[in-house]
Amino acid sequence: MIRWLPRSIAARLGLAIVVLHIGLALAAPLLAPYSPVRNDAGHALLGPSWSYWAGTDQYGRDVLSRVLYGGRYALAVSFAATFCTVVIGTVIGALAAFRGGWPDNVAMRVLDAVLSVPPILALLVIVTVFGTGAGVIVLAVTVVYAPAVVRVVRAAAQGVVTADYVTAARARGERTCPILAREVLPNILDVVFVEFAMRASWVVLLISSLSFLGFGVNPPAPDWGLMVAENRTAITVVPWGSLAPILALATLVVGLNVAADGLSKAWGVDRIRTGAP
Amino acid sequence: MNQGEPLVEVRDLSVAYRAGDSDIEVVREVSLRVAAGETLALVGESGSGKSTIATALLGHLRHGSRRTAGSVRVAGQDVFGLAPLALRALRRGTVAMVAQNAGAALTPSMRIGRQVDEALRTVTHTRDTRVRRRRIVELLDHVRLPEPRRLVDRYPHELSGGQQQRVAIAMAIAAQPRVLVLDEPTTGLDVITQRGILDLLAALADELDLATVLVSHDFGVVAAMADRVHVLRAGRTVETAPAARLFADPAQPYTRELLASVPRLSDEPRPSVPAAAPVVTCEHVRAGYGGRPVVDDVSLELRRGEVLALVGESGSGKSTLAAALAGLRTPSGGVLRYLGEPGGDLAVPAGKRPLDLRRRVALVFQNADTALNPRRSVRDAVRRPLTLFGIGPRAERAARTTQLLRDVALDPALQERLPAQLSGGQRQRVGIARALAGEPDVIIADEITTALDVSVQAQVLDLLDELRRERRLACLFISHDLAVVRGIADRILVLYQGKVVEQGSTRAVFAGPNHPYTRALISAALEPDPGAGAAAESAPRWEHDDRDDEWIDTGAGHLIRRWREERR
Repeated sequence: MIRWLPRSIAARLGLAIVVLHIGLALAAPLLAPYSPVRNDAGHALLGPSWSYWAGTDQYGRDVLSRVLYGGRYALAVSFAATFCTVVIGTVIGALAAFRGGWPDNVAMRVLDAVLSVPPILALLVIVTVFGTGAGVIVLAVTVVYAPAVVRVVRAAAQGVVTADYVTAARARGERTCPILAREVLPNILDVVFVEFAMRASWVVLLISSLSFLGFGVNPPAPDWGLMVAENRTAITVVPWGSLAPILALATLVVGLNVAADGLSKAWGVDRIRTGAP
Repeated sequence: MNQGEPLVEVRDLSVAYRAGDSDIEVVREVSLRVAAGETLALVGESGSGKSTIATALLGHLRHGSRRTAGSVRVAGQDVFGLAPLALRALRRGTVAMVAQNAGAALTPSMRIGRQVDEALRTVTHTRDTRVRRRRIVELLDHVRLPEPRRLVDRYPHELSGGQQQRVAIAMAIAAQPRVLVLDEPTTGLDVITQRGILDLLAALADELDLATVLVSHDFGVVAAMADRVHVLRAGRTVETAPAARLFADPAQPYTRELLASVPRLSDEPRPSVPAAAPVVTCEHVRAGYGGRPVVDDVSLELRRGEVLALVGESGSGKSTLAAALAGLRTPSGGVLRYLGEPGGDLAVPAGKRPLDLRRRVALVFQNADTALNPRRSVRDAVRRPLTLFGIGPRAERAARTTQLLRDVALDPALQERLPAQLSGGQRQRVGIARALAGEPDVIIADEITTALDVSVQAQVLDLLDELRRERRLACLFISHDLAVVRGIADRILVLYQGKVVEQGSTRAVFAGPNHPYTRALISAALEPDPGAGAAAESAPRWEHDDRDDEWIDTGAGHLIRRWREERR
């Protein structure tokens, strides 16, 4: 199937960054020197020092600790949202490619309509109506980004559904589900994985934007987007209060992008080398 | 024939590619020479290095491979020593290539005229579009395309496969090359079209005094075209000899073996199986795309234990009929019935057939490379029908899978492999094993040997013959290769534009008298014998004659559709 860890340096570097982020978020309680939410008026607005590596914010909370914890929400919600987006997009895309004809056409036109709405606008509308719970945000992101996944997966699956092994399965009278699961999916899995990494970087940004705008976690819970919003007024006094979460977010997004790029190249080249369709 | 200075001279050429940490040699110390006006054929099975040598004449090697020794000189120039600019000049003006699948080589969104113009512009510098257009029309006329003036404004998809190949040839000769490299120029075309293309290529090589290098695995094509033949095996030269001598008296055992496995029209048909009860019957079947009928009022009966061959050029409807039987297309009219136990209607899609009926009809595909899921092991492929159709107790399925692989003469140790790790012949055997897994009564074999080398083709045909005798399988064998059909079929059904024009026992059809279309098919078939080349007789132009009785019965079930010479 997929040769895990392709030789591409870009893919390895990107994956390493992402894994590092996940590791830091998981190990935050062990690594963080202070509580991320405890106020300490006596140490407010400090610059970087040996005791506060990234300084403190206006309530005297340690920025480093908040950055370490702050990735948890963004990563968890982004992962859940990307997972739902890619799963639903893959199912619809593969189904549309396999069925073809008018169901395919109708599905595509509906998706075109959804795609024409700007994501952040659609998200704001959904969040305003249904609230800012994590579940709602996951659902909203799925609705907004699934159409793009559908397109990519459908295009990849269209090359597979005409292959003789799919025809053979149809001639055996197999049902749609086993055909998609056994014959089509294994052959587009690399596309799906790349799409996952690609989409994740968008979703991380989108969810952080929502937090920044105030739709997401509630203060004082630590979150990158929220931290940028809270500390931007004090940016001239303690630049690290905003810079640290921005840096964290940027490295994560770059890591995801580099990974997606490296994976797609590595697998694409592999496909050509092995002569697989 | 001009036997002067050779235009092409390959000396001790070795090519290798890197796989992991070792070099794999694909061409080893091959030397050859081709003079102007001469045609040299490179023959050998897949993996023999013939295409590598052919593309090396253009200074091209596949990605990852490199020349380890030797030289290639074309028109006095060492192609691997040339600077990129000079190499481009060589490819532009001196050496031209026609590849296997011209339909894929033409740009789909560009009109024919502009594509030929692109090739032309590299050599003529005139900016006068009218002059160039005249030259394009001349070129298209030169490759015997009908109505060249209208053709320049067509798109590639509006042309037939043979016409696309002719356009590719026109582009190749636009630059007035001195060397022509033909890589399987007619593979994938049906016999009649193939004959036309080969005649054209032979005529062009003569007119333009070209040094031609022909790559082919088809000994019929080689016999029709080549002056000399260079036999390759695993990258090494086996022998090289004038065509007449090679076919009459091959010096090497390998060549003899290869030639012996080529099916010939003159072969004795296999002893046919006595007629039995029919298992499948089709009556007045129609099927088509949009409003256009592709299968038009076809009736046939397939009997237990017999091989019925469906013969015809591409577009004659033979694959469409097979798809209808397999439940992949719904016919628009007529009756298709399975008559064995439990009986049933075959005019419904496979998914709607009862489970017990579904497994009675199995399909084997033309191209085993694409017929197996590249991500699934051999065991998965063969086992799936067993699970799906619930054949045998669960515990026995592993043993049954092993047995099926043995039945098709495959080593059961291969069952962990993926299709990419098998040879073409092995893949086709897996395809047959998968078809047999459902214990079918009827096998539909759609051009199953077209993509295989001759020696492998012979083995697969033997296997099919053995299986149908042992298991009393009825087999619908679809092919455009009459020599293969003669070797395996008991009865033949000739289709032309969706209609049956002739049917009868193999012996009767080959003995004649025939419908003019069958005559044309038989005479277009290429024999692996350089002497037999020019025997193509011109069939009269004909049309269906619908007066009173449709069929002429010559006895013993040999029926010929009534026809008359076309009135103009």
